Amino acid sequence: MAQLIKNKVGIIACSGEELVGGTITRAAARMVVEKLRPEKTIILCQPLFMAGGLERHGGQQERDFSRDHPTITIEGCDEECARCAVERYSGPVAAIFRVEDILKENPGLKPIAREELDADGLKVAKILAMKIADKVDELMGDKRDEDGSCSDPIQPSSGGCGCGSK
Amino acid sequence: MQRMPEKKVYILPCSGIGKVFGSIGREASYIVVNELAEAKTKLSCLPLIVKGKKELIDDINENHVIVIDGCPLKCSYNDVKSATSKEPDGQFMSTDVVKYNRELKPESEIMPLGQNAKKLARQLAEKISEKVDEILDSDNEGGE
Repeated sequence: MAQLIKNKVGIIACSGEELVGGTITRAAARMVVEKLRPEKTIILCQPLFMAGGLERHGGQQERDFSRDHPTITIEGCDEECARCAVERYSGPVAAIFRVEDILKENPGLKPIAREELDADGLKVAKILAMKIADKVDELMGDKRDEDGSCSDPIQPSSGGCGCGSK
Repeated sequence: MQRMPEKKVYILPCSGIGKVFGSIGREASYIVVNELAEAKTKLSCLPLIVKGKKELIDDINENHVIVIDGCPLKCSYNDVKSATSKEPDGQFMSTDVVKYNRELKPESEIMPLGQNAKKLARQLAEKISEKVDEILDSDNEGGE
């Protein structure tokens, strides 16, 4: 798999179901991979990445890809589940993008509907997607960012990913 | 007066992003928790469970859970089973509802879902809602 898709950046959205932020991450990921940088990116399936028993089904490919390629995570809330998953199973992420950061930069945008994005939700997703696309370009020209490493294996705990952050 | 169920049923879709089937499961979940079984169900983020959020896992163990998967890898089933100490009370595959409704070929786009995919999601949601009632009825029979 890695040989076939070398020179690509992995994009993984938290896809959380409970909050609108999770839906925004899905939309942003699809925009990047389908429209903005289809030649440079590949979408990674968060549930598959995190699923137990992956080895039995061949799903280890997602983790292997992320271990060998730059991977960008998109987070819908401060739990940062996507980052924690990548760092738990594959290694440091290349970059993290947070819905919350976009909302802080654009206080006029107030997405509400988690089921189907409203106009503000789509705007946030587009802004996120454009920032991610820029980062993809940067990564394709540079080497993998090694900042923010927390690759130690972790155990389930009271919500922390065990990597030293919240 | 109808007795309110003491326990609730968590609805946990895989939300796979690669194909439309994960999104059909996600849409079906929203229909169940927002509309068909609002007072009987809860929705939470699957990644948070896998991450190991203790309060959430404890609550799932004290209640019921239905998982919805969009492909044979059954990520939601496997994730819930490994993160909690229980076998899910119900399992659904969004591909099954597609199989039994050949005339409704789901569109490939997921943002937004196509009309056929939405119809399939509603059918799936109705089946899930029936399962919710079955699970909670079983609780009530056991408690009487």
